[in-house]
Amino acid sequence: MMTAQRWRHSARPTAYGVIGVLGLLLVWQWLAVGPLSGTSLPTVAEAIGALVQMLGEGGFWEDTSVTAGTALIGLAASIVVGVVLGILIGTSQLLRFATSAVLEFLKPIPPIVILPIVVLVLGPTTEMTIVLVIIGCAIPILIQTVAGVFDVDPVRTDTARSYGMGRAEILGRVVLPGASPFIATAIRVSAPAALVVTVVAGLLGGGPGLGQSLYQAQTAGDSARMYALIIVLGVLGMVFQAASQLVEAKALHWHESKREVQA
Amino acid sequence: MTTTADITATPVATPRRPRRRSRRIPSWVKWALAVGTPTLLLAAWWTASADSSNTFFPSLEQILTRFQQLWLFDHFLTDVVPSLANLAGGFALAAIVGVGLGFVLALIRPVRWLLEPIIHFVRSIPPVALVPIFITMIGFGNDMRITSIALAATFPTLIATMDGIRSVDGTLKDVSVVYRLTRAEKFTQVYLPAAAPQIFAGLQVSLQVAFIVMIASEMLGAATGIGALTLTAQQSFMIADMWAGVLLLGVLGFVINKIFDLVKARILAWYFGAKEAQRAT
Amino acid sequence: MQHDVLPIPSAPSIAGDRLNPHTGMTMAQTTPPARLAVDKLSKSYGSGAQAKEIIGDLSFEVAAGEVVCIVGPSGVGKTTLLKCITGLQPLTSGEARIDGQLIDGPPEQMALVFQDYHRSLMPWLTVRKNIRLPLRHLHLDRSEENQRIDEAIEAVGLSHATDLYPWQLSGGMQQRVAIARGLAYRPEILIMDEPFASVDAQTRFELEDLCLRIREQFGMTILVVTHDIDEAVYLSDRVVVLGSKPAHVVEIVTVNLPRERDQITTRATKAFVDERTRVLSLIKDPHRQEMADA
Ligand SMILES: Nc1ncnc2c1ncn2[C@@H]1O[C@H](COP(=O)(O)OP(=O)(O)OP(=O)(O)O)[C@@H](O)[C@H]1O
Ligand SMILES: [Mg+2]
Repeated sequence: MMTAQRWRHSARPTAYGVIGVLGLLLVWQWLAVGPLSGTSLPTVAEAIGALVQMLGEGGFWEDTSVTAGTALIGLAASIVVGVVLGILIGTSQLLRFATSAVLEFLKPIPPIVILPIVVLVLGPTTEMTIVLVIIGCAIPILIQTVAGVFDVDPVRTDTARSYGMGRAEILGRVVLPGASPFIATAIRVSAPAALVVTVVAGLLGGGPGLGQSLYQAQTAGDSARMYALIIVLGVLGMVFQAASQLVEAKALHWHESKREVQA
Repeated sequence: MTTTADITATPVATPRRPRRRSRRIPSWVKWALAVGTPTLLLAAWWTASADSSNTFFPSLEQILTRFQQLWLFDHFLTDVVPSLANLAGGFALAAIVGVGLGFVLALIRPVRWLLEPIIHFVRSIPPVALVPIFITMIGFGNDMRITSIALAATFPTLIATMDGIRSVDGTLKDVSVVYRLTRAEKFTQVYLPAAAPQIFAGLQVSLQVAFIVMIASEMLGAATGIGALTLTAQQSFMIADMWAGVLLLGVLGFVINKIFDLVKARILAWYFGAKEAQRAT
Repeated sequence: MQHDVLPIPSAPSIAGDRLNPHTGMTMAQTTPPARLAVDKLSKSYGSGAQAKEIIGDLSFEVAAGEVVCIVGPSGVGKTTLLKCITGLQPLTSGEARIDGQLIDGPPEQMALVFQDYHRSLMPWLTVRKNIRLPLRHLHLDRSEENQRIDEAIEAVGLSHATDLYPWQLSGGMQQRVAIARGLAYRPEILIMDEPFASVDAQTRFELEDLCLRIREQFGMTILVVTHDIDEAVYLSDRVVVLGSKPAHVVEIVTVNLPRERDQITTRATKAFVDERTRVLSLIKDPHRQEMADA
């Protein structure tokens, strides 16, 4: 009875999921050999073949690590820029009002808009990609940090001040921990975005990495390789998402437990 | 399922307490700062670039002149309108499919189990990476662009709708059961409005994705569209034209989002009102 | 695990469990068929090792046109009981019948006023539209629909607030909107879960009288859960007193008061005070009363 229940609750969705994936592969195969056989759509075997072949290439692994590494470096730089500027702006009312309209304008503009300029100035390089990632990710992190700093209870900062804490100490021990859930959320959302921007920079701006490989596969008409690369990018995307969720959960957990101790 | 929740979770971080912090600064100063800073920045750009000899950074005057010559209205009908039409078409498709499929997946469990892993995988692919696939399959035309935009933009809405429907308050569901609402009434009068805040959050992300893919689909080897013109200008060193293109795209990105905000504020007036009321207590 | 799918009132497997061999036997003999009959109802949440029995072997009946109050300590399972009766929750065993018909989904003769009044109103609809929502599928003609809505709004004293949203109202006002929605629906059996908990004393008296009035006017049968013993005695023909762990009937007290009641005079009578004392003592110490009765 118990085990039957368990099975219903955990294994059945998984079984269905597997069936779903297999079904998708079947439909794909059927399309590739049937209705769409003349087009660029490769068969499942061709795509998997290309994937396996690619996994054996040193160049592929280099591209993958360049893509992941560039995205992470860009993200790290975005965090530094976003958090530092965010705290600066968040703690000063004047700065907050002064920047509000500008940030409001920049927020909805995706980095792909600026891409032509950045490529023009920096060329198809890793630096170009990193700059693009920073443009894309630092602003949301900055905006969330400002919101987080603003959200810190003024009573707490006043209390800290009355205990004779200095500015730096208040920042480090009251403001930053208080704003951390906001920052953590922003980082979680930004991490997958950093990967997306990295791929965009490679695909459209020629920056090194998987995006560039995809562009080359497209121009070479190697559609099996294109599909293999898409699969890799999907996996990489999932890894980035899972990792960022994990990090956020850890950060928030820390925050919660800290809260409980204080209360 | 926390795995599907993250897109819509962004706006969660809103201040909860009413604020009385702006005590020292009069509101005219706020306004002056909010309006003054952008004006100052533009003025600084104008003067600093006035007699720029740097090829990458032409003078703002030059950029604005080219902006006017290009977009108002030489290329307006041939490039701007088609771009926006593709955006609208792709986004509309994505919205319909996303909300519809989201409903189905939220309400029919086996279908959700069947498709959830696939959806989770496809939405992890950077949306722009799908464009090359459609180019090789459909070509460079508008069909390809609309398809790419629609496919990429479907997922945020789909996932948000699924989450929204699944988190409809149990009491509301009970009310619709006890008062024997018809199936259609349940969907249109209870589930849809109850999930609307999340659906709109998803639609907003979808719109941003659609905008990005619109640009990307034009930049990847096409002759028409704002994105294509901008990238061609860059590659042929018509720098002022490129800046004019970037400027137009930036303004469009802002304006489109603003329009969405307005529509959202109107349709979800009850939601923001309720939140405000809750915060005030 | 909850509310994945559209709420399905009773899963087939559970309906199967419920078929008990005694079905029909007990009911057929009682002479006037009860409007509402609950027979050996028990209810557990969860299954297997985590199963928690909330209601155990609970039986009572409500006759047509009766007002019955259910009283019992907080958390005993009163809301759960109402959810079973209204077909929102499947029973674990036993049965509930309406006019002799087994309840296995929300019966059309019933309306329920939820305890979570603030969560039971649609925040995107104004007061008026909230009340109209369940009426739409009844396909009344426009004038009758409007008349019912107006009367219900009038009855709960919210005529000034028809175009406001629920979140613009106080808790007590929201609760009255929920009641008005039930009234406008004109069910044959109106079930209310602590309907007057958040309203002020004055309004509460008015709503209690409204209850008695609509019973006369429409021949409604009314079942009310309340915490307030005075209210239970004032309102009802009979009071069902529940004990806890799991919820069971401690006593069903018939209130010996004339059917015509008045907030001022009835509450001042010795009969009222006596009935109140009797119910109270039952709740405080059920055993003493059982012994006294024996
Ligand atoms: N959906 C559920 N799943 C599991 N347990 C539940 C569920 N709903 C209620 N319970 C439990 O059942 C018990 C009875 O709850 P119920 O809401 O019926 O009590 P109540 O008598 O209405 O209380 P109150 O007077 O406070 O409204 C409680 O212990 C509660 O925790
Ligand atoms: Mg209750």
